[in-house]
Amino acid sequence: MMQKKVCMLGGFAVGKTSLIRRFVTNVFSEGYHTTIGVTVEKKIVKVDHQELMLVLWDLYGEDEFQHVRESYLRGSSGYILVIDGTRKATLDTARVLQQTVVRTLGPLPFVAIVNKSDLRSEWEIDQPVIEQLQEEGWPVFFGSAKLGQGVDELFARLAAMLLSPAPPSRTSL
Amino acid sequence: MTDQSHPPDISPSDHVLAALDLVVLEWEKESGEFRLQGVPPGWWSERFGLESQGSLDVSQWSPFLQEYLAGVHAVWQGNPGTIEKSGPWTESDRHGGEMTLEARALSIGPRKLVLIERLGSDFENMRSIVQRARERMLTEDITEKSHRKMEARLIGQLETSERTKDEALALLQQLGLAAMVLDEGGRVAFATARALEMLDLAAQEAIGQPWDQVLSFRTEDRLLVQHLLDGSTQTHSGGPLCLERGGSRWIELEIHRDVCHPVRRILVLYDRSEIHALRQALNEQASFHDLIGKSPAMLRVYQLVRDVAQVDTTVLIEGETGTGKELIARAIHSSSGRKNKPFLAANCAGLTDSILTSQLFGHKRGAFTGAVQDQQGLFEAAEGGTLFLDEIGDIPPQVQTALLRVLQEKEITRLGEAKPRTVNVRVVAATHHNLGEDVLRGIFRADLLYRIRIARVQLPPLRDRREDIPLLAQSTLGQICAATGKKIERLHPDTLRLLMRHSWPGNVRELKSAVEFAVISCKGNEICPGDLPPEITGATVTSNSSVFIPLSNQDEKTRLLAALSEANGNRTEAAKRLGISRATFYRRLVALDIQAR
Repeated sequence: MMQKKVCMLGGFAVGKTSLIRRFVTNVFSEGYHTTIGVTVEKKIVKVDHQELMLVLWDLYGEDEFQHVRESYLRGSSGYILVIDGTRKATLDTARVLQQTVVRTLGPLPFVAIVNKSDLRSEWEIDQPVIEQLQEEGWPVFFGSAKLGQGVDELFARLAAMLLSPAPPSRTSL
Repeated sequence: MTDQSHPPDISPSDHVLAALDLVVLEWEKESGEFRLQGVPPGWWSERFGLESQGSLDVSQWSPFLQEYLAGVHAVWQGNPGTIEKSGPWTESDRHGGEMTLEARALSIGPRKLVLIERLGSDFENMRSIVQRARERMLTEDITEKSHRKMEARLIGQLETSERTKDEALALLQQLGLAAMVLDEGGRVAFATARALEMLDLAAQEAIGQPWDQVLSFRTEDRLLVQHLLDGSTQTHSGGPLCLERGGSRWIELEIHRDVCHPVRRILVLYDRSEIHALRQALNEQASFHDLIGKSPAMLRVYQLVRDVAQVDTTVLIEGETGTGKELIARAIHSSSGRKNKPFLAANCAGLTDSILTSQLFGHKRGAFTGAVQDQQGLFEAAEGGTLFLDEIGDIPPQVQTALLRVLQEKEITRLGEAKPRTVNVRVVAATHHNLGEDVLRGIFRADLLYRIRIARVQLPPLRDRREDIPLLAQSTLGQICAATGKKIERLHPDTLRLLMRHSWPGNVRELKSAVEFAVISCKGNEICPGDLPPEITGATVTSNSSVFIPLSNQDEKTRLLAALSEANGNRTEAAKRLGISRATFYRRLVALDIQAR
């Protein structure tokens, strides 16, 4: 079976681990438990009747305490950028990380998710900003790991992109 | 962690490795595989099983470790002294638990080694610190966001509030409304420009100050306003009240309770100075002190009284009986600089020399029979004030001399004393006599007349100011009703007509007496003609020209002769026409040497 390494990238507490847990085990935990280091999970998905094992690298959150090691990115087939809709600063972090990946590995398939749509009233990221990202070629999803909204669609879309012969993205440095 | 169950035949280096709780993997170039060195710690066996010291199947390991081991060859080929850390990663054990591991790649001479360590309490402490730091950052972020929201909301509210305030202020200014707001402590919290202008104050002189310092009311008005402020009803009004600052401005005051803050009060000020001045002017025209009347003759009298009051000279008031001579004297006193000193009145008619002298100048004990103690006279008692001498034409000659001395020397001498006493008294005299004629007849001292007649006020008889009769009647009616408690509202027009036609020989005094009589007689709420005394209801209409007036001899003589002529020589009828008794008429005829036909 084909395996693809996928890195979850984003600032701290944006919901990377929660998204993976929701996707892999369909579980959500309310408490925040910071990730130090790397946790790897696997899940098989079907894309057009073809099975694909996603090897999900849950990397620790990017912040002033921890910076993503470029070595962790090596071997990735694609990545997911996670943004916390209630914290505008996490969009900036996502942009930096996206550029790091491009600089390190070149253009790879990726999707972005604005998480925590269950707290929509508190979002700091508004529609014009989203539209700007989409204009830049970012496939942007909205979802909530807490509610399970948009999670499967997110991974399915990336899986499809990983198997697609088309150019992954026009976004580059 | 030391495992005491290790076989006793293991080497010392194995013991060291076991004590360090490390897993040591060595890469064999020949086979291209990793071999486990020494005895692995228990946690390794939990995760990866108790494999022999033979080659290890890396493909069964976690993707993270596989990827790390795949990359360590580059490290070994580089600087031999380099140690490459994998960074922490999480592995699940066979019981569903998790452990965090970290690997190091190094080369010692030709040997290529990978050391794998399970991260313990130090790592957990570090994780805990980072966890707390991140939670704190999240909390601060939430707090800051909450503050930003609150700030934005407050700014919005403030802007709305400011806009509303500006609009309200613009409206207030446009309306020219003089208003102020008092806080719970009674201090001025806000005042409109119009209010400040009215109070003749700058904003900084008013804002924050107690209301009673800003509104400079008289004491009694201040107490009234305080009472209104303390009241519990929604709105009060009071006034007109006099503001002493800014030239005695008269205002009316509305006090409202602030709907939003019940302890605050909104004061609205209305400038009523002009209305007050007009009303006062109107009142002054209709009355002066206790004198009532707005006829031209009375207005001239009022002005004369004002003028006379300004100087400190002796005044002679002339007028028929009942015209209000004493009221004029009181008005002069009240309008003069002596108003805060005594006003005493003495009627000089019908008193003997000694009694009048004693009354005016006082006496010493034993000066005459019955003088049991020293007694000061009216001149002394009126010290600094005014002494009104009514019927001065009836003063005996001896007293005239003493009075002249007082007026000239400002000294009196008590009866029975030799030493004079200095007095400071203004004398206002009155008479219904023609004193000039009395001088000619030798019954009044000319020098005294000149002394007391420095200023003269001549009071017109009521028949010469008939337009004042309704005013006087109504005013008198009000006074009597107030005194008696009767509720009579008005005089019937026919009643007024009768009053207007009467000749009023007794002048205002007679009019008051007639109205009092009518009030007693009246059974309804309106005085009808039948309520008036019979001499008024049955009185013959007399013309002004036929009424007796104390004029010069020639004028009086002409009038008496005219009355006789109109009455065809009938003296009784002539007297009636003149409004005097038959006896008086006869006496005047004799005095003026008129021979009746």
